[in-house]
This record gives sequence, C-alpha cells and structure tokens, in this order.
Amino acid sequence: MATWLEWARGPIFIGAFSFMVLGYLRHLLVTFFEIRRHLRRAGDRTIPTLQIFVATLNWLFPLRKLKSQWLFSATSILFHIAILVVPIFLAGHIVLWARGTGLSWPAIPNHLADVLTLVAIVTAVALVIQRLSARATRNLSRFQDYALPLLIAVPFVTGFGVMHPGVNPFSYDATLLVHVMSANLLLVLMPLSKLSHAVLLPGAQYVSEIGWHWPSDAGSKVAIALNKEGEPV
Amino acid sequence: MDDTRTKYSFYVERSALEVTDRPQKFLAAFAAVLDHSSYGLALELYTRLSTKCSRCAAACQLYQSTEENRDIPCQRSELLFRVYRRYFTRTGLLKARLTNGFTLTDDYLDEMAEAFYRCTACRRCKLTCPMGVDHGLVTHLARWLLAEVGVVPKALVVATREQLEGVGNTSAIPPNALKNTCEFLEEEFQDDYGVNIKFPIDVKGAEYVFFPAVSDYLLEPDTLMGNAAVMAVTGGSWTIGTGNYDGINYGLFYSDRLMERIVQNEVAEVRRLEGQKVLIGECGHATRSAWFIPTFCGPEAPPVVNFLQYTAEQLRRGNIPLKPDRITERVTYHDPCNIARSARILEEPREILRAICTDFVEMTPNRTENFCCGGGGGTVSIDEIRSFRTELMGKRKADQIRATGASLVVAPCANCKKQLKEVLEDHHLDDVEVVGLHDLLLKVIDFGDELKIDTGSTDESSTAEEHSEQSGGD
Repeated sequence: MATWLEWARGPIFIGAFSFMVLGYLRHLLVTFFEIRRHLRRAGDRTIPTLQIFVATLNWLFPLRKLKSQWLFSATSILFHIAILVVPIFLAGHIVLWARGTGLSWPAIPNHLADVLTLVAIVTAVALVIQRLSARATRNLSRFQDYALPLLIAVPFVTGFGVMHPGVNPFSYDATLLVHVMSANLLLVLMPLSKLSHAVLLPGAQYVSEIGWHWPSDAGSKVAIALNKEGEPV
Repeated sequence: MDDTRTKYSFYVERSALEVTDRPQKFLAAFAAVLDHSSYGLALELYTRLSTKCSRCAAACQLYQSTEENRDIPCQRSELLFRVYRRYFTRTGLLKARLTNGFTLTDDYLDEMAEAFYRCTACRRCKLTCPMGVDHGLVTHLARWLLAEVGVVPKALVVATREQLEGVGNTSAIPPNALKNTCEFLEEEFQDDYGVNIKFPIDVKGAEYVFFPAVSDYLLEPDTLMGNAAVMAVTGGSWTIGTGNYDGINYGLFYSDRLMERIVQNEVAEVRRLEGQKVLIGECGHATRSAWFIPTFCGPEAPPVVNFLQYTAEQLRRGNIPLKPDRITERVTYHDPCNIARSARILEEPREILRAICTDFVEMTPNRTENFCCGGGGGTVSIDEIRSFRTELMGKRKADQIRATGASLVVAPCANCKKQLKEVLEDHHLDDVEVVGLHDLLLKVIDFGDELKIDTGSTDESSTAEEHSEQSGGD
C-alpha cells in the first residue's frame, strides 16, 4: 500500500498537476492569441472595455447576482469558495509543497478547513439535487454535469477521513490513496471538461464581444467561398 | 403551400424546400464563416465552458410562457454547439471515428430552424449567464447559416429583395411616393399646427442624413412629423435622400452578407449627399445595424446618431421650447432590445419623457433588463406566427404593461410598435395605446412665431392625431 501511495503522490501527482497547468496554459494562450488575431482583422476595433470589465468582475465575484435563484446561487458560491480555499490553503497540503518545492504560504486553521470541507461536501451534493429537482436544469444536464460535483466531493470526503481517523471506518492508507487518486483524476479533467471555466471565465465577456466584431469584408468573403457572389437575394 | 407550413411555422419560400444536400451545404457555409468571420473564438469558448446551469431559462420570457425544453436558451444554442464540436473540433472528429456519434441531418436542420426562429435574439439571457455566453450571438450565427441553405422566413427575404434588388427599400415605396408623403405631411403641419415645416429632400451637404424605418412613411406619420418638428425648432441641418431612405436592415436578422451590403448602401447615400452623419429614426434594429457601420466601412465612416440622442441633447441645451401644458395621461416606456440591452440608449428617452409628461412610470424590469416586445429578431414581420408572438412571446410584456396602469406605451422602434399593438389587442388591453416618442413630443412643442404661417389665423390647439393614415401595400 505504501508503494501505491508513493506512486500516487509522486509521479502520478506530478504528471496530473503538470497536465492541468499545461492544459490551462494552452487555453489561455490560444484564447489570448485568437483574441488578438480577431481584433486585428476586425473592421471596428472599439470595444466597450469598461462595461466588459464590470460585467466580468460581477461574475467573478457574483454577490450581486444572489437576487435571482438565490438558493442555487448561494449554494454555488459557497461550493466555489470551499473547493478553492481548502486544497490551496490546507496546512497539510502546504507542508507537502514546502517539502517538494521549498515554496510555502500562510495556511488556514484546521478547524476552518474542516468546516469548509463539510461545506464543500454538502454543497456538491446539494448542487446535484438542485440540478435534478429543477426542470430546466434536469433537461439540460449532461453526464459531466452530475459526475463532476460528485467527483469533486470525493477528495473532500476522503480528506476529512484522513484528517479525522477516529470517525473513519476505513484504513488510513486506503482512504489517503483514494483521496490522492481522485484529486489526480480531477486535475487531469480540469482542462478537458467544463472545469476549464476556471481559467476561461475571466475572458468570456470579452470574447463574447469579439464575436460581434467581424472583418469588414467577412460577408463578401463568405459569398466568394460559397460561390454566391452576385446571387440574387 | 401546406407542406411548408407544417415544416416551418414561420413559413419559408417554396424554393427553400427544393434545396438538396442541405447538411453538406450547411457545413460548407459554417466552414466559410469560421474562416472569414469572428464567431470561431466565441464558439470555441462556449463549447468548452457552457455549464448548463439554466439561469438563462429564468431570464427567457418565452421559456417562462411555454416551459418547453427547446425554448431554454442554452438548449437552443447547444443545437449549434453540437454541430461545431462534431465537425470543427479535433475531439469531435476523433469521437466520431470511435463512436456512432452525432451526424447532421435534414431533420436536425429543421429542428434548428424552428428553434432559432422561436428566439428573438433579444439577448436578455446574456445578462444572466455566469459564463458570459451570448445566446443572441449564437442565434445570429445560426440564422445566417440556415439562410445559406435557403431557410429564411419569406417575409424577411421578400423585404430584403425589394430593398437590394427592387425599388430600394423594404416597403417598396418609390421616390415619388416618398416625396408625395413628405408634401402631405408638410400640409398636415400647416393645417393642424399652422406652421411651415419642411421635410428637406436631397439637400447636399446637410449634417444629418435621415434613415427611419421606411415603414414609418406608411404607418407612423406622427413620428416623422415629430422628427421634422424637432429639426425645425432646433434649426438642425438634415435631409432625406431619395437614393436610399430606409434604415431597415433585415440582414441583422439572418445574414451578415446582406447586412454588409445594406449598411454599405446607407453609407453610400450619405457620401452621395456629402452629409456628415447618419441619423436613424425611431427604430431599434436600424440603429443597431447602423452601429455596425464602422465594422463594414471602417473608422472613417460617418458617425451614427439615433434621433432620441439628438432630441435629448437639444432638450438639454434648451433648444426645444415646450408648451406649458404637458401630457397628463400615464405614460410608460418600452426599452427596445437593440438599443437598450447593450446600455447604449437608456436615459435619453427618459429625459425627454420626464420633460414632457407629468405621469411617467417605469415598467419592471426596465432598461437593460427589459423584456423584449416579443417580435424582435424580425419575427414581427411574420404574420403567420402572430399568435406565437403575442400569446407566448408577448405574455410577459402584456403583464408588464398592465402592471404599470399606463394608458400610453412609448416604444421608439417600428418593430416594437407593431408588435406591441398586436400584443395589446390580443391581450384585450384596449384602453392602452402604443405611440412613438416623437409623436408625444410633437403635441407639446411650442413652435413660437418664427415657424408660423403668416396668412390667415390657425387654431393652435387643433388635434394632432387626426391624420388620415395612408395605407400601403406592405
């Protein structure tokens, strides 16, 4: 078991983490260069930057959006806070980073981490229940929309078990292995699934605006490409 | 024609049914558009980040009425995303090799056609999408691609044909008839207001070249008279060009190719008349398509001014004298999506209304979050779907208007006006009237003595409404 664990948090973690970083980097670079390319050939390059900036901030920190569908919104906001804060600021994780890379940063107290972990688990399950219970979401949802919140809950459940062996009926090592491996799986899925919104969201409002900024001759060029020049309306 | 109606509730031309190899042609058009236009990046991003949270469903007035899955904005956009993923991304191509995945079929195209013409592209859902997905952009693109395989509502294509290849405008009003209408309206000014106000035609070097929705010449003479009156009292330099006097641009609703041509024609007329600015009348989509002038004609192209902006500016400067008697009926204001959703024209009409009305009330919600009239995206021209437009699309609007208790709804948009009139009629709101903003302004402008006709005395307070409306073959 110890060897398995070493393997999971050694080479597999490094591979999964690098995959996540490189995948996200790819998304960022592609988006950045595509924005530049589209903007360069656009007929109208005036972009309402301030308006887009405000809209972007309003969605990155969506407290003002709580008004509509407040239960769903509040669940979602709590879920995001919990799953972002705990993995990054847990003392136990920071120790591992310090051991591996020499980097370290301030940690949150463990009892706060416990609370946030429970929040993450409860909200993940709540999100799935809300998805199932509202008609519109139920109809829209794909497999990943149910699977991802539940999969995200797994490292939190097992993490809680690792931190509190007294309440954990399973062996410590087995729980830790599931913890590390489920997190590894998530890292790999991050750039491949809708979780890519973690890096793409800040640019989304801007990209939506770019969609309306066409090259001045886009229409004529499409007509030429389709052999429809001079075709009657 | 029965078969067309069963296939498309919005009724395409018969030739659309004879197009063969539609999926292939659709994909060819899609590829060309991705190559030459700017939709690719947005699609790439949307297909990756769409989280299917359904907040858009809560924002969509159609879904709120029908509760049909196909009316959830995200579900509708997914129809196009699926095609994009399958045929234009590497993972899609790979998946297609490995599984018997999705294939674009004729039936699927029909499903798309129906779905994308149930959307008015009002873009209200864009405001509620956490991921910033602009479903209006997706509808805009999907309709263009569908148009390339012949699927366009007949009403839109016939009007555009008339504009680009016929008489030169969507209502088929020949220049002579335009001149007659303008002369008739000048006589109305003399008879009803005792003033000498001109509709300047083909004046070279005017500051503003005027492009209303051309249908106003047939259906909304009061709006045009209000426009002319504002120009007269403010001493504005403007002209109507007989080469092109139509601000309507249905290209915005179904084809960037045609939109480009119509916008360029507009600018060509301004250049012919050596004018400086494009002045758009009370029309939402005409304004929004004119805002694309820099896109199609470069940054040197003439700037675009909506008449509401001009009037509000002149009012601020104190250039529009008003009679002491204001409009006392309760008035509410409908924000046309095409000028309000992007927050470009919100306060100007309100400034004017507050100045001329004693009882102005807001609809809830309003401004950028206002509900569409229900006839946006060109659907108002499609008479075959009136019940869909007024009953399903227009339900929220009718409720909204009813809640204000207003007897006048101001809608500075030709499309919204027509749709709202039908909504009020079908929802039995018989004591509510839809008017243009300049119609109301006209009633309270104090023309003073300068514009008065010298000969004979005229009764100033004679009713302004009593016009014998001309009816045209629209």
